Amino acid sequence: MLSKELVAASTVPIVLSVLTDGESYGYALIQRVRELSGGRIEWTEGMLYPVLHWMEDQGLIESEWREAETGRQRKYYRLKKGGRKALREEKEQWMSVHETLTKLWRTQPHST
Amino acid sequence: MENSAAFDLSGALRRWLDALAQTPEIKHENLKELEVHVRDSVTQLQTKGLSTEESFLVATHRVGSPARLGPEFGKVNGRLGNLLAHGLILLFVSLACFFLWSILLLPGVMPHWIAGREGIKTILPPAFSEWVMDSRSFLVGPPLLALAYCACIVVNPRRRSTSWTGFFAASAAGLLLLALPVGIAVLLPIIEFMNRLASHSIFH
Repeated sequence: MLSKELVAASTVPIVLSVLTDGESYGYALIQRVRELSGGRIEWTEGMLYPVLHWMEDQGLIESEWREAETGRQRKYYRLKKGGRKALREEKEQWMSVHETLTKLWRTQPHST
Repeated sequence: MENSAAFDLSGALRRWLDALAQTPEIKHENLKELEVHVRDSVTQLQTKGLSTEESFLVATHRVGSPARLGPEFGKVNGRLGNLLAHGLILLFVSLACFFLWSILLLPGVMPHWIAGREGIKTILPPAFSEWVMDSRSFLVGPPLLALAYCACIVVNPRRRSTSWTGFFAASAAGLLLLALPVGIAVLLPIIEFMNRLASHSIFH
């Protein structure tokens, strides 16, 4: 299980990355992340919505209420240009953390 | 399965939503989105063999309690109020500057009035008052500055959540600094007027 802080910090890049594959809605986003992380990333599900609304406010994503095949009204979220740009920046930052840690741990084989 | 048939999902959902609606930070549209979420979650959990009631309990538990959700929604939904607060402060700054500008007309009028009343020739307002009066047009500056700042907040989505408190503190401090010389400039001729009145009543 990821720490609370890391979950909070990674929510925006994860949502942006999932939406790169196409539009989605809250519940499906959570399912996808649970599946991809093998259950290690557990969001308090309701907390995702304020984050989505914040991202929409920041111009990263946009949303639309639409009827799904099941007849249920759902709010779909889709990536905007600003979101793609933000994702590129996030990617760079997370990759630099990842690379630094990887290099460090490679040179310290006995520390773990 | 008998159990799940007896369980009234819509009723339970309505009660759950009613409880969430007690949290002022959560808006109607948020409730609608959360309702769809719980319905999706219940459907999914039922396919895993849980009864409707169990599915409902697990689904709502995963969404989180109103106590935890409220503040998070408040951060997003409170922004309209924040923008409104910025607008009110802008209005306040503009009105205050207009008021200061208006009362700065007084030192110009008062000496004539005194002169007329006393039956003596026109006296000049005190030098300081005159200097402040001449700089009166600078009072357009603060409202324009505040307007530019508010425009920045509205236009740039990343700044939209900037709290109004800093803006309020800066505005109040700025206005106080402006009010000080204006107050003195207006008071000086009044003091002079009082002096003249006093000397008039003594010597005549």
